[in-house]
Amino acid sequence: MRIAAGKRLAAFCLVAPLVVFLVLFFVWPLATMMSNAVSSPGAVQALPQTGEVLADWDRTSPPTADMQAALVEDLRAIEDDQTVGDITRQLNSAKSGFRTLMAKTVSAVREDTGPIDLVAIDKRWSQVPFWQAIAAATASPYTDRNLLAAVDLARSPTGEIVSLPDTRSANLAILQRTFVIAAGTTLACMLIGYPYAMVAASCTGWKRQAMLAAVLLPLWTSLLVRTAAWFILLQDSGLINRMLQALGIIDTPLALLFNRTGVIIAMTHVLLPFMVLPIFSVLIAIPSNLMPAAASLGANPLRAFWRVLLPLSLRGVVSGSLLVFMTSIGYYITPALIGGPTDQMISSVIAFYATGTANWGMAGALGIVLLVATIALYVVYDRLSSSEGQRA
Amino acid sequence: MSMLRVLKIVFAVAAMTFLLAPLVAILPLAFTSSVFLNYPVPGYSTRWFAELFTADVWRRAIINSLVIGLGVTVLATVLGTLAAVGLRERRLPFSGVLRTAFLLPMVVPAVVLGVGMQLLFVRMGLANSYLGVIFAHSVIAVPFVFVNVSAALQGVDTRVERAAASLGASPITTFRRVTLPLATPGIVSGAVFAFATSLDEVILTLFVAGPNQRTLARQMFSTIRENISPAIAAAAFLFIVGTILAATIVMLVRWKSAQRRAA
Amino acid sequence: MTQPYIRFDKVTKAYGDFIVVEDLYLDIAKGEFVSLLGPSGSGKTTILMMLAGFEPPTRGAVIVDEKRIDQLPPHRRNMGVVFQSYALFPHMTVADNVAFPLEMRGVPKANRKQLVDRALDMVQLGTMADRKPSQLSGGQQQRVALARALVFEPAVVLMDEPLGALDKQLREQMQLDIRDLHKRLGLTIIFVTHDQSEALTMSDRIAVFNKGRIEQIGTPNEIYDHPTTRFVADFIGETNLLDGAIETSDANGLIVALPGNKRIRVAAGSGEATGAAVTVSLRPEKIRLNSDAGSENSLPVTILDSVYHGDHLRMVLDAQGTRLIAKADRRFGDLQPGSKAIASFDAADCWLVRS
Repeated sequence: MRIAAGKRLAAFCLVAPLVVFLVLFFVWPLATMMSNAVSSPGAVQALPQTGEVLADWDRTSPPTADMQAALVEDLRAIEDDQTVGDITRQLNSAKSGFRTLMAKTVSAVREDTGPIDLVAIDKRWSQVPFWQAIAAATASPYTDRNLLAAVDLARSPTGEIVSLPDTRSANLAILQRTFVIAAGTTLACMLIGYPYAMVAASCTGWKRQAMLAAVLLPLWTSLLVRTAAWFILLQDSGLINRMLQALGIIDTPLALLFNRTGVIIAMTHVLLPFMVLPIFSVLIAIPSNLMPAAASLGANPLRAFWRVLLPLSLRGVVSGSLLVFMTSIGYYITPALIGGPTDQMISSVIAFYATGTANWGMAGALGIVLLVATIALYVVYDRLSSSEGQRA
Repeated sequence: MSMLRVLKIVFAVAAMTFLLAPLVAILPLAFTSSVFLNYPVPGYSTRWFAELFTADVWRRAIINSLVIGLGVTVLATVLGTLAAVGLRERRLPFSGVLRTAFLLPMVVPAVVLGVGMQLLFVRMGLANSYLGVIFAHSVIAVPFVFVNVSAALQGVDTRVERAAASLGASPITTFRRVTLPLATPGIVSGAVFAFATSLDEVILTLFVAGPNQRTLARQMFSTIRENISPAIAAAAFLFIVGTILAATIVMLVRWKSAQRRAA
Repeated sequence: MTQPYIRFDKVTKAYGDFIVVEDLYLDIAKGEFVSLLGPSGSGKTTILMMLAGFEPPTRGAVIVDEKRIDQLPPHRRNMGVVFQSYALFPHMTVADNVAFPLEMRGVPKANRKQLVDRALDMVQLGTMADRKPSQLSGGQQQRVALARALVFEPAVVLMDEPLGALDKQLREQMQLDIRDLHKRLGLTIIFVTHDQSEALTMSDRIAVFNKGRIEQIGTPNEIYDHPTTRFVADFIGETNLLDGAIETSDANGLIVALPGNKRIRVAAGSGEATGAAVTVSLRPEKIRLNSDAGSENSLPVTILDSVYHGDHLRMVLDAQGTRLIAKADRRFGDLQPGSKAIASFDAADCWLVRS
């Protein structure tokens, strides 16, 4: 038993470096992204007393003197303008008007050290909605604002979940677009990939090797190179349009670049190997005498395919489809380079929020949506392929 | 010839054309003398390769890619190989969970990971540093090493290792003299994949790299996006030739080890 | 009695609740050739692996040369192991494979070469030293494995079904070669096999295993002629197992009553109580058909089937409700199914076995 324990310890020591590395640079970044999506920055830490008093407030009755006094105390305790700015921005995004209100109030509070009637400084302090915004912001260090916004929802001033007005909702449309493009790519891959795998499996010798090489070579080639190649081919003056024009099929160039057709063509090319390979591996595992057997039993080729080959190869199709769909929904580079503005998928929006506007909360929230969808698909895929392994 | 057979051949040729034509079509454009990426090619020259190796942005990008790719290859190969060796011990608790967990970086969308890395790396002081980019790339390169080395180790007959022990080799000697040489093909393929992954990485680079760490892939990305030039085709030419070279190495190594195992 | 060289003292091996080897006592003398024989899953390979150090026993002690070795790692046990499918190092040449154990023991390079050459000559592979294992035939690989396990003159040689992958002719040749090496070098060999004829040919003693326990241990002769249990009688060779009850016993043996009002005389096995249910083992080749020689037992039988086997006929007989298998001389070829005959056999060839 001592030997076994020593072996286990050695194994642990070998695995530990990668575990530590991935915790530091994989799990932690993802956790950071998620916590950014749900944490409500600034206000809570900066307005502790107000938060305490507002916790007992019913959010509909008129503001009390206690609430005002607590806010004044908190505002006096804040010394740097950075924090004031953070609070103001956060509150203003929930209820417009806070910018001027806060500026006025903070300077008044700083000038006078005695008790202050806030309503005297600005009448808006007597209005319930402004206090509601502060109450919502200070209620908890966590907020579901970003997560809700990611699916075009928001909380009403009284805390119920409601749909955002059409003018402010774009995310659902982008999610829907992401799924449409991914589904289109998956379908195209299936329509080309299934017959391709079938032909490859029915060939032998160099023909099969050539067909597999034709799949593997693009798979191993840089994604950027393949995208660049399609960019060049799909241009108005690109090879495809030139050829079609030379053949007299079209007069004016087809618009293939910066639209959805181009995106789906390029993504299908990029992801086709992920469809072909699982189907192929399932197909070659099917005994080659089953189709002749079906024929000898009186099935015509179509029926034999429908009743024998298709059911047996369905697992490969499902695996391949899951793999393609899962990869598609996270795609960034191909839509970014080949697509137009209306072909940008969820990854592009996340990148926009993160690098364009530094709205880490929204980037994180959409990231969570994408992450959850991807992991869910992966779990299904993993189950499917591991049950396949058990059967083999 | 039956109708079905003709159909099969037509389909196979069409699909293979779809798969290979883009790669083939971009190659001649690398040698165009024009500033446009178009057919017909008006004349041939190597001016775009010259541009690639002399223009400051491209040359720096190539050097950055090689430096970062080398770092990633070393780090990912060491971490992935150690873990794959460790996980051979099936009695290790959670080994099944770890096996799945080690593959997750391949699955998680790069943009999601990138957002998290950008936030965290700023806090860690790794933002805009070579080390940060190497770490980021290694995260997604390590599964390739792990998968390849695990598969190679799985192919090593445990009886061969037991034989070494029975002949007097200590566990460490057994590993060094028997296991490691037999797993070398897997480690080499893993390392090649790790390097290729780093070379092709754009998204994480966008999030964690500064202007000083601009890699070749990153440079290609912005060139296509902003003002496409035949330098792209020249870079693509190098990539494709490199891919074929790497594929040949991997195939050769696998073929040799398969031949050895055929016994 | 001299101290045994290898001793398993009440050794048990279990994986969780699953017991592979149970309470094993086994003594092996120096220079002995012992076969562990049994069907797959009977625990024989596990015993070998415990001796080699790859599986720690769950309970009990493994003693070699008066020292407990349970906690000794495999590489310090100094035992030559020939593995199933040989386990040659595919990346080393034949010579490097054979030199490996010498290298591990720090034998100087100059001496190594000499020892390797000698070992390879011993297995008639002197000319193959520079080849890789993949360039050798199965039989040659087997010989390399043997040379590798012997070159460092280990105290004990363990063989785990080493001939299983070879075809019949080669296997029989190797059986003789190994037997010869054993005698010439005075090796202590423990040989695991599921092939009973292999065990009978090669061994000094055979231990028959069933479900993790020794059913019987003894010389090949004892095991074949005097099986003590039903399992051994059935597993070693072919036999007729006749269930009956003891009717009377006297100084010459027992009378056993079989179903169908038949009685047979059994020579050995006195001391059993009258009326006890017993099983009689009777080897097919001990049954004579229509013989003139006087026998204690003779039964009228009907021929059910007769199959030509080259040097003999394999006959299925019906003795009034009891089926018997007999190996008959070819001259009975004209006895057609349905014809009658007399089957006779000696009381000394009937053997009582435990169920």
